[in-house]
Amino acid sequence: MIGLLADRRIGRALASSREQLTRFPFWVRVIVFLAIVGGVVLLNGDNYVTAVAVSVATYAMLGLGLNIVVGFAGLLDLGYAAFFAIGAYTSALLMTQAHWNFFATLPLAVLFTGTAGAILGYPTLRLRSDYLAIVTLGFGEMTRIAITNWDYAGGPNGVWNIPWPSAFGYEFNTQAAFLVVSLCLLAIAMIFAQNLDHSRLGRGWVAMREDEFAAEAVGVPTLRLKLLAYVMGGMWAGLAGAFFATRIGTIDPTSFTFQLSVLVLIVVVLGGTGSLPGVLLGALVVVALPEVLRQFATYRILIFAILLIGMMLLRPQGLWPRVRRKPKPFYGLRDDEARDVSEEILREHQLQVAARGRHLAKAGHPEVGQGEVLLKVRNLAQQFGGLRAVEDLSFEVLRGEIFSIIGPNGAGKTTVFNCITGVKKPRQGSIEFNGRSVVGLRPHVIVSRGIGRTFQGIRLFKLMAVFENVMAGLYPRHRAMTWQAMLHTPGERREEVQTLQESRRWLSFVGLEHAAGRLASELSYADQRRVEIARALASHPQLVLFDEPAAGMNPPEKAALVGTIRKIRDLGITVVLIDHDMSLVMRVSDRIAVLDQGRLIAMGKPDDIQQDPRVIAAYLGREEDELDLAEARGA
Amino acid sequence: MHAFLEYTVTGLTVGSFYALVALGYTIVYGIIRLINFAQGDLSMVGAFLGWTLLVPLGFEHLPIYLAVVAAFLIPMLGTAVINLGILQFAYKPLLRRSLLAILITALGMSLLLQNTVLLVYGPSIDAYPPNLVPATGFYVGPVHVTYVQTALVAVSLLLMGGLVLFVQGTTIGTAMRALAQDHDAARLMGIDVDAIIRVAFVLGAMLAAASGVMLGIYYIQIQFTFGFLLGLRAFTAAVLGGIGNIPGAMAGGFLIGLLEAYTTGYVSGKWEDVVVFAVLIGVLVVKPTGLFGERVAERM
Repeated sequence: MIGLLADRRIGRALASSREQLTRFPFWVRVIVFLAIVGGVVLLNGDNYVTAVAVSVATYAMLGLGLNIVVGFAGLLDLGYAAFFAIGAYTSALLMTQAHWNFFATLPLAVLFTGTAGAILGYPTLRLRSDYLAIVTLGFGEMTRIAITNWDYAGGPNGVWNIPWPSAFGYEFNTQAAFLVVSLCLLAIAMIFAQNLDHSRLGRGWVAMREDEFAAEAVGVPTLRLKLLAYVMGGMWAGLAGAFFATRIGTIDPTSFTFQLSVLVLIVVVLGGTGSLPGVLLGALVVVALPEVLRQFATYRILIFAILLIGMMLLRPQGLWPRVRRKPKPFYGLRDDEARDVSEEILREHQLQVAARGRHLAKAGHPEVGQGEVLLKVRNLAQQFGGLRAVEDLSFEVLRGEIFSIIGPNGAGKTTVFNCITGVKKPRQGSIEFNGRSVVGLRPHVIVSRGIGRTFQGIRLFKLMAVFENVMAGLYPRHRAMTWQAMLHTPGERREEVQTLQESRRWLSFVGLEHAAGRLASELSYADQRRVEIARALASHPQLVLFDEPAAGMNPPEKAALVGTIRKIRDLGITVVLIDHDMSLVMRVSDRIAVLDQGRLIAMGKPDDIQQDPRVIAAYLGREEDELDLAEARGA
Repeated sequence: MHAFLEYTVTGLTVGSFYALVALGYTIVYGIIRLINFAQGDLSMVGAFLGWTLLVPLGFEHLPIYLAVVAAFLIPMLGTAVINLGILQFAYKPLLRRSLLAILITALGMSLLLQNTVLLVYGPSIDAYPPNLVPATGFYVGPVHVTYVQTALVAVSLLLMGGLVLFVQGTTIGTAMRALAQDHDAARLMGIDVDAIIRVAFVLGAMLAAASGVMLGIYYIQIQFTFGFLLGLRAFTAAVLGGIGNIPGAMAGGFLIGLLEAYTTGYVSGKWEDVVVFAVLIGVLVVKPTGLFGERVAERM
């Protein structure tokens, strides 16, 4: 009992000291931390220890870069050494052949490796992760062999006599001086990585890692983000490579083997994928442990391998995993939410919609007015193999209404949604939204045109916090550029705060503000559905598509859902709904379309649909649905 | 033309080794979606077990058929046991965890195998008995084909044929194919999923060990590091043919072998890996499921 109390007290003390710490911006904390580390190592004065510390810093830089690719974006990269090599050779050749200053070569090394990232990334964007493994591995080997056979760069002998770095007449030629340079570079690498992590890019990457399909469908441009991850990852390696070249003085192809790629991957995974402190810890273990084991000589790698396997068995999440749970996600946010949230949302929504309306009108695509045709589907057809999922389907959704699509299982309802949102390209037919065709557009583009959706089986980003899920849905609305995200500029910071604010509003709109800091996977089924709704609404769509939102909900939850759907309509958002719960559909819908075996068999007001003989015929013989219909009449 | 045929013979011989290891990758991947990075090293372990039998234990002095049969069978069994141990202790607890954790474990396993062999056999190069199979050969038209080449290709074709019969013709093989489609459905049908995974690991290890012994007989010299490069090329072969696809892995192995032999012959040995990977990347970009299409169900 006393132990428990003490634990709690310590926990509280830790939490409060954490809060104290977070008052300082991240870059201040990084600089202070690295200065302390550097100071301790330098005071120790042992050249060997200093040299090991420099290596740790180099590996940490590499790890931070690979962490962007593997940890954030979830793309397996087994050829990371190639980027390290390109950075090292760029810098080394510029210094030896063109006699550039080391610091002047850095931008070019980073530029070259970033470009290499784009070259590797572009053709591999659509590959699955297992294939990426072999392609990146191949890229690494090809780069190594190419430089081995490249005579200008010394072939297998490499580049010799690379000068020390110098600045303002001072030459950095001791281990201590290297440590200072490496810690400065590491500080830059850490600050940029942290800024990216806490920007829309970081969120987009993690969303993509958790569920690529859902990320694209809520407006994250996944292909562009993948490419960006490779470019960024390459840039970090360029920094590390350039430093490695000048520090060692002689580089040759044997420094850039597959083993190095694996070691850096181990740094990332050992520390905890996606976690920045984890990368530092991982680098420390990977570099320092073999040094500690040096006395065991030949057993060194063997012991290392055993420890690695043991580690994966006992703690597969890594030594210092990233915790995305946040007890107070909205801490420090302006507290204007005491007033009515719906009002706030309505105001914001109208602002957003008006802004988009002006934007579209300027581009020559005026929006349709209230009660006019918002979504127009003509002769839509889709088939899978021999199965005709949808055939010659035409319907129109008017702006401002709640429109339901019902039908027995396999009637083609979800297929219609997939065609509208660009997930599947229709075989035939046209889909017009606001008078413009959306056929053939990528899903994230369709989201930015103003269509949001939820999924039949819940597809939240499970390991992200609830508020982050909603923020990911706000992705299309960001205006900050990548460089702004990296530098964490005031404009970008303002936008982040706004995003956070809005995610809070949408969460309280669906009644989940209290759960905002928990992981999405920890919520109940019904609550997860509500988070999906908030995520779909976050981009301020004109039209939302809800795919079976009531599935798995109990009656009180369903009643609340009806209220939510009406509230959404009152915001001016048009709703298209698929559901099997007849009483819910009948209560909430303005008009209903009934599909059976891919064809439209009836359309009209709820009362007409219930009387329609074709609908009754389609539902007869399917007992449970018949019961549903009977129940709906009673309701 | 003459040179071309010579290269073809070399390519097919080497390709048959790659094909065997690639089959190991494909079978294991098809069932548990794990790229078993230790596959090439298992082959290396098999080669060393075979060498132990033939040279230090003197099996080379036995009648040739007996020696060869023992040098294949015992390493195959030994490696199978090792691979089962790896599965049980390292992979099994991680099967339901993250892909990355299990991949790192596989890489660690590869290191572990290499360094264990390094400890036991030392860093030096060991040599298989050079005259185990008569070094002479015969002519097919203008092309010289050695008995070793013929025998090795024949043995690997035999093993591949056996594998296909096993997978297509037996109940266990049917269960394996079912597992490749859907674990849960297979479990519901009463298939002992764990047992089938063990079968896949045993088969993968046996094929790898056989290729290791064949490599020893063909190249004579073996060293603890050769597993890495072999594994890399075999994995490339498996992906080229469409991972999870058994005929694809065989075709991929022979293709990689031929590609390598032609590159070495016509361009330079320095560029063989570059050409192999360039072709692989080209194929994947044009046809992301490999030349013959993968046979694993995509999990959404």
